[in-house]
Amino acid sequence: MNNAPKLIPAFDTLPDPDEIARIAGWLADAGLESLELSNDAGIRLLIRVPQAAQAEEGQDRLPAPARLAEAVDTVAATAPYFGHLCLTHPLRDVPFAPVGAQVSRNDVVALLTLESLQLPVRAPVSGEVVDVVAQPGALLGYGAKILEIRPDHQD
Amino acid sequence: MSKPVRFERVLIANRGEIALRIQRACRKLGLETVAVHSEADAESRHVREADVALCIGPPAAARSYLDPDGLLLAAKLTGATAIHPGYGFLSENADFADAVEAAGLTFIGPTGASIRMMGDKITAKRAMRDAGVPCVPGSDGPLPADMEEVHALAREIGFPVIVKASGGGGGRGMRVVQTPDELTQAVTLTAKEAQQAFGNPTLYLERFMQKPRHVEIQVLCDTHGTALWLGARDCSLQRRHQKVLEEAPAPGIEPDTIARIGERCAEACRRIGYRGAGTFEFLYEDGVFAFIEMNTRVQVEHPITEETTGIDIVAEQLRIAQGEALHIRQQDIRQNGHAIECRLNAEDAATFFPSPGTITRWDLPGGPGIRVDTHVVSGYTVQPYYDSLIGKIISHGATRAEAIARLRVALAEMRVEGVSTNIPLHQDLLADPQFQQGGVDIHYLERWLAERTES
Repeated sequence: MNNAPKLIPAFDTLPDPDEIARIAGWLADAGLESLELSNDAGIRLLIRVPQAAQAEEGQDRLPAPARLAEAVDTVAATAPYFGHLCLTHPLRDVPFAPVGAQVSRNDVVALLTLESLQLPVRAPVSGEVVDVVAQPGALLGYGAKILEIRPDHQD
Repeated sequence: MSKPVRFERVLIANRGEIALRIQRACRKLGLETVAVHSEADAESRHVREADVALCIGPPAAARSYLDPDGLLLAAKLTGATAIHPGYGFLSENADFADAVEAAGLTFIGPTGASIRMMGDKITAKRAMRDAGVPCVPGSDGPLPADMEEVHALAREIGFPVIVKASGGGGGRGMRVVQTPDELTQAVTLTAKEAQQAFGNPTLYLERFMQKPRHVEIQVLCDTHGTALWLGARDCSLQRRHQKVLEEAPAPGIEPDTIARIGERCAEACRRIGYRGAGTFEFLYEDGVFAFIEMNTRVQVEHPITEETTGIDIVAEQLRIAQGEALHIRQQDIRQNGHAIECRLNAEDAATFFPSPGTITRWDLPGGPGIRVDTHVVSGYTVQPYYDSLIGKIISHGATRAEAIARLRVALAEMRVEGVSTNIPLHQDLLADPQFQQGGVDIHYLERWLAERTES
């Protein structure tokens, strides 16, 4: 047990957003939903990672680390589950996010259709849609790239 | 019984070598396959060769291979109307089997009710006893709450005894008790552990056999009342309750003895209306068979029975699920020669630590009587998320000696680079005089390893 303090970083101050994103990535990879840290001074940090199946609840989706690493150029919006891709709103003819569209982080940019269920695909960052790589109607697997977004600099 | 609906597209709800094995059987029968996989297995061989491949989740098994809802949705989206669960993962999950059938799909395996009955060790044992399958002397039911009664039971069974959790299995939730004064504590501890691990504190008690062998009977049953037994396998070489090397038939046991026990197993299947492939596992000591559990799925070591009987067990599973009658008759099943399988794991041969990584060289053995079941190709990356089985080398010979000789040549030919494997362990085992003599007990390998470490 002597190694425990080395393995668990000190929790004196709140980690910076990049660190929180990294921890969230680990949680997502491990299939865990939340992590709670607290200290004697009363600082409490709760990280919740929306799991794919519950993504429709519209919680704050944290970008996975891979997407952060690609931030040099464009960031892909990927399928949070599997399903048939729908790029236009079912009740309107307008595409959610065509090439050239300006989107904000967490905007719905596409839908995945599974039987009667529809799951939103959300923009991982704010920016401009520069490419739509997946075909509408295609059966996409988990993690498949749907569209590329060039992030705003202030994002 | 409702008439089964024929299927043309099978979803393989598994990964690794067994996924490829199932795919081969499907293709042989002209059935299309859907490979559902995690992100980690995207480059797998069976995924590349599937008619439809779909990534259903991240590497964590809980969100891919163990996700019942995801698997059912994937079947719907890909037009698969049957699901083969393989072994491990959801293969012995009765609720999943029920959910598959409730969704109007075919579960390639027994009914949820059969899985449930065999998953509970107490009901399983009761069903076996009723069908005339020999069982180890024991409590024949849950332990009473009164410790005095537990002590009386144990005295009647005879020490040493083993305390087992009703919901346990695979070596978990059990404790050996050598003397009466250890009994109370052992029962209390095991109940607590069983509650934590399986959510069920129910225990039972059995005579602890000192030097048993692990002998199992393969069965195959259709939905028209035919139940066949396909002979015995000896899987006594185990480490931490994990089988390492298996052979068929079991050395030194008379074919008549196996036939008698095999017929009892087949009869038990007829009585419970069992469907598909299954395995009755026994401890065997001094001519006595004692039922331990039934596995309601295809097993890792099924190829050695395929080699000795010439029956394609996985293809038969598919045919049975299509509602076809078995065309094989019991009197036509012959035990032809001897077969041995060694499980290749990506692990250190001495420490048994897993050795994930990319396989840079993968030269396979060949020649008469050698079969290799593996999903690995050169350049394949062994993932840290799943078990470390990378393949199985199976040898077949006219005699046990020939099977051993062929397997030794095969292992010497095999070249693996990039990860460590347990090939050296298998080579040493096959050279061991006690193993060569045949009939070692289930503790032999661990004793042998302990002695090796000492010297």
